[in-house]
Amino acid sequence: MKLVVVSAGLSVPSSTRLLADRLAAAVVRRADAEVDVQVIEVRDLAVEIAHHLTNGFPGGALAAAQDAVTGADGLIVVTPVFSASYSGLFKSFFDVLDKDALTGKPVLIAATGGTARHSLVLDHALRPLFSYLKAVVVPTGVYAASEDWGAEGLAERIERAGQELASLMPKAERRTEPGVVPFAEQLAALKP
Amino acid sequence: MQFGIFTVGDVTPDPTTGRTPSERERIKAMVAIALKAEEVGLDVFATGEHHNPPFVPSSPTTMLGYIAARTQNLVLSTSTTLITTNDPVKIAEDFAMLQHLADGRVDLMMGRGNTGPVYPWFGKDIREGIDLAVENYALLRRLWREDVVDWEGKFRTPLQGFTSTPRPLDGVAPFVWHGSIRSPEIAEQAAYYGDGFFHNNIFWPMGHTRRMIELYRNRYAHYGHGTPEQAIVGLGGQVFMRRNSQDAVREFRPYFDNAPVYGHGPSLEEFTAQTPLTVGSPQQVIERTLSFREYAGDYQRQLFLMDHAGLPLKTVLEQLDLLGEEVVPVLREEFAKNRPAQVPDAPDHRSLVAAKNAQAARGTDTKEESTV
Repeated sequence: MKLVVVSAGLSVPSSTRLLADRLAAAVVRRADAEVDVQVIEVRDLAVEIAHHLTNGFPGGALAAAQDAVTGADGLIVVTPVFSASYSGLFKSFFDVLDKDALTGKPVLIAATGGTARHSLVLDHALRPLFSYLKAVVVPTGVYAASEDWGAEGLAERIERAGQELASLMPKAERRTEPGVVPFAEQLAALKP
Repeated sequence: MQFGIFTVGDVTPDPTTGRTPSERERIKAMVAIALKAEEVGLDVFATGEHHNPPFVPSSPTTMLGYIAARTQNLVLSTSTTLITTNDPVKIAEDFAMLQHLADGRVDLMMGRGNTGPVYPWFGKDIREGIDLAVENYALLRRLWREDVVDWEGKFRTPLQGFTSTPRPLDGVAPFVWHGSIRSPEIAEQAAYYGDGFFHNNIFWPMGHTRRMIELYRNRYAHYGHGTPEQAIVGLGGQVFMRRNSQDAVREFRPYFDNAPVYGHGPSLEEFTAQTPLTVGSPQQVIERTLSFREYAGDYQRQLFLMDHAGLPLKTVLEQLDLLGEEVVPVLREEFAKNRPAQVPDAPDHRSLVAAKNAQAARGTDTKEESTV
């Protein structure tokens, strides 16, 4: 099974990436089948994402990342919290993705921030975004504030979220390329 | 193979001087560009159709009728005619009228348009764009092919006993291309009718263009119009030339950097690597254009976009001199080499009349009448 991780952290090392890796490891542990993990660092695609917004088509690296996301059996998405929401770069990555790419795909949402006061960003920002994109968002989202890295509870939430995503992945419908609708059918559908 | 130019008809400030031409200047410049195209031996001039600023060509047949009166050989076309928001009855009438005035030197390219508010301004809904293109074009075909039409559809007032006048010249409808960048439904539509398919590839990577053309060619064969290689394909192109390629890059860069479509985005170098845009010597343009055949197959029509991004008329006319005198003659010669004999030319009025007469002589019904 193919697991793709989209991590939108900007610094190196990044706590966003740290959380992403721990979530991915939990999915690998909990999955029945072998899981192939691919991590996409959105930071590396920042310029191509901006060009896609102005040009309308992706450059080579962005196109490869979009194909990976589209073909994944499961997706983990992790963003830092900027100004009370997902980062603009994180959102832009999904803005330039085909609107049907995530239909029916199991997605685990996660975010990092400097303070626990932003933890509801998962439910007021990320969950609506992925619901709009017709993804199947697992019930447990994982938010890690700086203090969580030294506190109890984060590891359990990671494990529970990993279990939830792993259990959905085998059942996920693989998106198939839509075939061409034969023209006679298109025409007939318009008959009054 | 046909070579020509297509224009969007944008009014764009010249970024090197800050000067914006008036609408009148731009409209007259478009005419001057068309006349130059004929003078330097190009085959086709196509104008866009837009109904919002900063574009001027809202009335293509008015402009093409004027150009028809001042040219002898140029084929007058569109890039594109909005099959979604125009009434198909008016398209049928306007282009049949133009056919008579231009002695048959007319074809047109159907397109949907991509500006959201234009649809409601004309009482339509952009979400129904594909359905509008399908239904309106089906009606347009009947209006040109049947003298009296009874019709009822989803989008337009029904017609009872309607005759579109004037009837098409010599009883032959103008040849139709369908332009689309992203929609497989439109490639399918073109294939179904055996019409031409134009992929305006100028802002798109080659891999994408290849997939759309392959789809059209395969479906063209599926519908029994010929082999995939015999399908009628057109491509866009976008070039800026000077004899010395460094001069071309230096002169064009400020226009590129500030162009409405791709300005302030990727660099000129990145954009030329990913899309067909070629900035350099005539020889570089020749080599790049010949390479289109590698992914599009042997094709029928090559249109270049030459007057955009605020380039002054004088510069555009110089570009057309280079295109007509140095580039196109070589392209004609090179594209003709190794071109299989069964690959047809793009249909024109004369060939369509000949085909109609041959059909009549055989006394068989046309496939078109049975499939419309």
